[in-house]
Amino acid sequence: MPDAAAPLIEARGLVKALGGRRVVDGVDLSCRGGEVIGLLGPNGAGKTTSLRMCHGFLRPDAGHIRIAGHDLATDGDAARRALGVCTQDDTYDSDFTVRGNLQQTARYFRPRIGNLAARIEELLAQFGLTEFAGQKPETLSGGYKRRLMIARAVVHSPRVVFLDEPTTGLDPQARVGVWELVAQLRAAGLAVVLTTHYMDEAERLSDRLVVLQGGKVRAAGTTRELLGAVVGEHVVVMPFAGPHGEGVGLWLRTRGVRPSTVLADWHFALDAAGLAAFVAEFSGLRYEVRPPTLDDLFLALAREGQP
Amino acid sequence: MNLAVFASAFAWQSRAVLGRHVRVHLRNWHTAMLPPVFEPLVMLLAFGVGLGRQIGDLRWAGAPLDYLPYLAPGILAYTAFMTAFFQSLFSAFMRMRYQKAWEGQLTTQVRLEHVIWGEALWAATLATAYAVAMCGVLAGFGLAGMLTLHWWWLPAALPLLLLAALAFSAIGLLFTALLPSIDYMGLPFFLVIMPIGFASSTYFPLPDVPWLQAAVQANPLHHLSEGLRWLLLRGEPTWHLAAAAGLCALLLLVLVPVDQRLLRRRVFGDV
Repeated sequence: MPDAAAPLIEARGLVKALGGRRVVDGVDLSCRGGEVIGLLGPNGAGKTTSLRMCHGFLRPDAGHIRIAGHDLATDGDAARRALGVCTQDDTYDSDFTVRGNLQQTARYFRPRIGNLAARIEELLAQFGLTEFAGQKPETLSGGYKRRLMIARAVVHSPRVVFLDEPTTGLDPQARVGVWELVAQLRAAGLAVVLTTHYMDEAERLSDRLVVLQGGKVRAAGTTRELLGAVVGEHVVVMPFAGPHGEGVGLWLRTRGVRPSTVLADWHFALDAAGLAAFVAEFSGLRYEVRPPTLDDLFLALAREGQP
Repeated sequence: MNLAVFASAFAWQSRAVLGRHVRVHLRNWHTAMLPPVFEPLVMLLAFGVGLGRQIGDLRWAGAPLDYLPYLAPGILAYTAFMTAFFQSLFSAFMRMRYQKAWEGQLTTQVRLEHVIWGEALWAATLATAYAVAMCGVLAGFGLAGMLTLHWWWLPAALPLLLLAALAFSAIGLLFTALLPSIDYMGLPFFLVIMPIGFASSTYFPLPDVPWLQAAVQANPLHHLSEGLRWLLLRGEPTWHLAAAAGLCALLLLVLVPVDQRLLRRRVFGDV
């Protein structure tokens, strides 16, 4: 009997080299039904390669992947039947209408989808595509194209969905529309893995985050856990060009804190004791203290990669 | 040899991809039928009848022969060659590179080997369908009293045309894997279509030059044209048919694994 609490995606020790370079180096990933995992990391961190291994585009050099209990390497057809993929690019079939795309995608799955006509009408309604059903996808706006892409990904009622940067290039209203769809997928009990460059999106949608850097998992956990572990408790923002810049720089160096430079400002993280010491040391200085965000996490990771 | 590379041709996923291409093509059947009917018609009228009058008789197999009957089997072979090559090169390249239809298919239970076989099977199916249309045009010439062939051999030639088209599609897919962009599309026409097409006895008998006669023995289109010519003009199955089938089978055995490997690298950046 299948364990209801068992992860629907379970990837262990994934390794992949491309062009002689190890792009993914021992990545673990797991996701349960009704959970959204955000896969984050700077460009070249190994997100897309990890995702491509998980949905069967690429064969891992080492490690194994199980999708809904099926080993992707040895039971690939069953594993692929249980997963859906929304690619970063619009990869709908431009020779078919919106409805035709859903019908044609369904033909690429066995066992066949029961009562397909009803399933397609249900999806068209759920994704707000009914009025465009007879149109070619290229006539749709960016937001509706993305809706079609996600609808295609779930036409066969998978248990796992991979969304690769589903909102890139969309206006804010269309982004919110996609967020609502992701929330619906989670509510329907699907395991969702999504990659995004928008930190607010990752924070809003994900139950857990996995941060990749240099092909390895740098940190994993809830947003709060990650920020505490990688960034710190408080972030101080101050201009570095003022009269106190040199003194603050020296003070930070003695404490082993490396600030990130954003335009004319320094951003640096301090714990409570460090912040108290900073306030005491630079009482006349104007600066801003705010809670850390995922943007700070990215800056911190980028800083780690620098000499 | 990895037989799985060939076994995937019979997988339901390859048929699903083939079905997709058939479905798209049949939706526009009224316009799609124009080229296979009118192209050979124009060729037979312009070259067979028009140019044929200027040429008069030519010698084939030691006997004089009008140009139109000489040309008819050659065009049949050339149709299979060109259609399969064009589909597996230009159309497949567009679907892979620009339309991103391949990537969309690969997000399902369809794998790359199925996409490739689907493209090859479609190219071969379309080429055979065009050859059937061509047979209809030839029959029209026959009914008009302009052409006499051993008609009952025509259906028997179709399986060989299918095999040949499949082999030619494997050549087209090789270029699909290798060409960096559509700007290089002229290259395979220059490197493959022109040499194979001209040195093939499709449009004219080859001159009696020893090195050329030796070189064309490796050209499957030459054997296909000559084999069909003996079959349809004399009613004799000759060794040319076996040579065409053998060379096409060899092409498939060699090129399909190479295509799969190169396309895997092309599509996934992986080997």
